[in-house]
Amino acid sequence: MSDLPATAAKSHLAACHMCLKLASADVHQCPRCGSAMHLRKHDSLQRTLALLITACLLYIPANLYPIMYTDSLGSAEASTIMGGVVLLINLGSAPVALVIFIFSVMVPSAKLMAMFYLVWSVQRQSPIDRRKRSTLYRITEFVGKWSMVDIFVVTILVALVQLGGLLTIQPGIAALLFAGVVTITMIAAENFDSRLIWDNMEEENSAN
Amino acid sequence: MGSEIACQSCDLLVNVAATKHGQSASCPRCGGFLTRCYDNTDQRVLAFASAGLMFLAFASSYSFLSLSRSGVESKITLLQAPAALWSYGMPEVGALVAAFIIVIPATVLTMMAVLCFLINQGRYNPWLVPLAKGVFLGQHWSMVEVFIIAVIVALVKIAAMATVVIGISFWAYAAFAICFTLAVSSLDRYQCWERIEALRAQ
Repeated sequence: MSDLPATAAKSHLAACHMCLKLASADVHQCPRCGSAMHLRKHDSLQRTLALLITACLLYIPANLYPIMYTDSLGSAEASTIMGGVVLLINLGSAPVALVIFIFSVMVPSAKLMAMFYLVWSVQRQSPIDRRKRSTLYRITEFVGKWSMVDIFVVTILVALVQLGGLLTIQPGIAALLFAGVVTITMIAAENFDSRLIWDNMEEENSAN
Repeated sequence: MGSEIACQSCDLLVNVAATKHGQSASCPRCGGFLTRCYDNTDQRVLAFASAGLMFLAFASSYSFLSLSRSGVESKITLLQAPAALWSYGMPEVGALVAAFIIVIPATVLTMMAVLCFLINQGRYNPWLVPLAKGVFLGQHWSMVEVFIIAVIVALVKIAAMATVVIGISFWAYAAFAICFTLAVSSLDRYQCWERIEALRAQ
């Protein structure tokens, strides 16, 4: 097992991102499905980084501004994402508070940090824990959409809780901002090319 | 080179010719998923997709949730949920939600059914390539299972303030979500494209 691992790039092959067809790295259009072909995703690190910074900038106001307003018998009350979690704990539904806390607070921030770490580690061609970093990327990619839970909850509440003067719920600007954060981090994860984690491995092995 | 895959997450070339019905292959170097093989993909996808689309038709025609407090009642259907955001001056979020929970899943499921029907015919059809592209592009952006969890969270949130009744549509939507997930997991990207190419080569 001491010989070099045979990667597609080493064999001068590029894999189509859409249909997985292997073709010569000089070909720019997939012979099977016609999609544009690249050896690696174009400007992967720059694009990912740009989208991550955008998401970070949106993430701040998304947490500061109210995500919804509850209007009960004439008294309006604004609640932020964290405020909603605290409210649920006070209502005695800790498990649901935990669900919202994990998906709306922990996952988005952990995901941003994980993506920044991955971009940084690829940039400095880090040789450590490649397999773990690959797993970290796959987890990041998988959990991304689950952060939409809070947006969907607001959607349902806004539509359903319309009892005239008795009880009304209205959406706040943070709903738009947070939906932006989730969508943009999903696109950022999609733009990251995890093969870059492994790309410098062969050179190192042959240098030894 | 016929049955080799370049791992999507580390670029290692792996031969997956030995993958049999019901088995899945993952990359020996990074652990990434490579392919899953079913001998009866067409039947599975067609069955789950047509059942799912029927459930979705049910889900969008009856009451989804209703709420009452002190004699005042409010009732919504599935489509009214994103529409409410629209009427509150947030058309972007409303459109995004509608796309993630209804439009994209329904489109992907319809395209999957047509794709598998055409492949099952055993002849090459020029629609196969655009259909398969649409399916594999769209399935990543469907959030049906996330919406189910969101409904449960929302119910707990309002249960303290008013009486909530779960409508028949919610159960139909849950069944739709299950069918959607099963259909998507039955159609493997690599196997599907290999079969399209084999049909074209005939």
